[in-house]
Amino acid sequence: MSTLVAPFQEDLEAITADVWGSFLDVDGDTPLVAGAPHRWAEHDATTSAVVSITGAWQGHVIIECSARAARMVAAALLALPEDEASEDDVADAVGELANMIGGNVKSLVASPSALSLPHVVTQPGSHQSWPGAEEVCRIDGAWNGEAVTVMVYAGVNEGKS
Amino acid sequence: MSLSASDFDFVRQLVYRESAIVLDRSKEYLVEARLAPLVRQAGLAGIGEYVSAAQRGGRPAQMKIVEALTTNETSWYRDSEPFQALTKTVVPLIRAEHPEQRSLRIWSAACSSGQEPYSLAMLLSEEAGLRGWQTEIHATDISEEMLTKSRSGRYTQLEVNRGLPAPMLVRHFTRAGAEWQLSEAVRRLVTFRHLNLATAFPPMPAFDVVFLRNVLIYFDMQTRRDILKRVRGVLKPGGCLFLGSAETTIGVDDGWERLVVGRTSVHRARAVALAGSNGTR
Amino acid sequence: MRAMVIDDSRAMRLILRRILSQLDFEVTEAGDGAQALESLNGGYVPDIALVDWNMPVMDGLTFITEVRKRPELRGITLMMVTTESEHDQVVRALAAGAHEYLMKPFTPDAIEDKLVLLGLARTGASA
Repeated sequence: MSTLVAPFQEDLEAITADVWGSFLDVDGDTPLVAGAPHRWAEHDATTSAVVSITGAWQGHVIIECSARAARMVAAALLALPEDEASEDDVADAVGELANMIGGNVKSLVASPSALSLPHVVTQPGSHQSWPGAEEVCRIDGAWNGEAVTVMVYAGVNEGKS
Repeated sequence: MSLSASDFDFVRQLVYRESAIVLDRSKEYLVEARLAPLVRQAGLAGIGEYVSAAQRGGRPAQMKIVEALTTNETSWYRDSEPFQALTKTVVPLIRAEHPEQRSLRIWSAACSSGQEPYSLAMLLSEEAGLRGWQTEIHATDISEEMLTKSRSGRYTQLEVNRGLPAPMLVRHFTRAGAEWQLSEAVRRLVTFRHLNLATAFPPMPAFDVVFLRNVLIYFDMQTRRDILKRVRGVLKPGGCLFLGSAETTIGVDDGWERLVVGRTSVHRARAVALAGSNGTR
Repeated sequence: MRAMVIDDSRAMRLILRRILSQLDFEVTEAGDGAQALESLNGGYVPDIALVDWNMPVMDGLTFITEVRKRPELRGITLMMVTTESEHDQVVRALAAGAHEYLMKPFTPDAIEDKLVLLGLARTGASA
């Protein structure tokens, strides 16, 4: 049995909403909307940022978004015009987003656990695998019409705690 | 999201009627900002649609507007100085003037989501000079929704981030999912009840201290005067009133004596206006 | 007033810099605890350091522990600004010598509230 229980989805949504409200949707008119239609074509470049949680609880918190959404994150956090955000800016900003959501997810699971530094991958249609872990929770959202997904993967052997 | 003149007028009159709070045209931005989340929640396209729906929807829908406009976002230990003045000046004053007194009764008026009364409760429960004293904090608000939230003592992370000293977070809160839960011991010190400042107060015990901060600014002059007079009526002679940093009793109600404490002021109820010729002692 | 922002994310450093500049702070940055210590060794002593927890090279908890070992740095107010948000982590940071603790995400108001609390800013300092 994992320590992730039913209210977890709600908590993940609250955490994500707080992050958006604090940094990406300060005026309250561009929230991340779960389940809303969004643009995410097959050929689109994808940016994903992962932080891993290890210790009493094992798992990953993953943010996956369209390249455009990633640039918008960088533009918002770094206060830049979107087209001026470099690849480094994008990696830094989306990584920090994963760090913030990941750290708060960690506070919901068994402790003591540690949070890794974020790992960011930018490539078209990249496929990633999470051996020994499965998805326990996700938000498929749209932000300004762009796809943003937040996922939590937990170790399948989770339950020692 | 913009607000038409007639919609603003409807909101202004509604809020004035229900709470005596005055919204002049300069508060248009506030109205838009406060109603925007309600508009989104209702899944409507604009503020105009929302106001029309509220006009048709009757009292429950309209009270939501009143609540949205009369509740304040609050921090813990908001402005900091009044809290320091309470422990460093007001409590010693009470001890000096009433050496036998072993109880402290405070009213936190318009307490919104409860940060002020709970800040007082934590502060006073940690105050060495008050050990063995009986502390009672009465908290009131016009919004039932806020009272329910306050009673639960549950706060989001963004809320505990706002001015709550980390040592107090650690001592008095535990994690509850993505939120933080205030301890039973602190919650027990505070009693919450509904109260509309603009109308006659229900029977209340006599208070040593009243916190009435950043509330008067919303009312017109006559209502401010009435409120201050009624507050004097529930304060003990010589009792202390804290107002918001931009608020004053001067030119509103002359039953007060202003005591400057650091960068804040304490307003003491003049004894004559209350107890006739008996004086403070 | 002088503030040092210690965070491995440039985005986060910039966010904090913007908020602090508006409150009239002079801001310097460091990307990890070791860089920050170097800058302190170089003689730059800020009034407050805003310290992230998880950073490469030297994390924020180690940095705070190091600063607290040195009496000449006693004047620096240390505030953790981190996504670490368990009750126990706040306890650990305070025990290591942090004066305050702010959890990410935060709003600009939350930074101002903490600075007011620490006596480093006045209420309503930002226009």
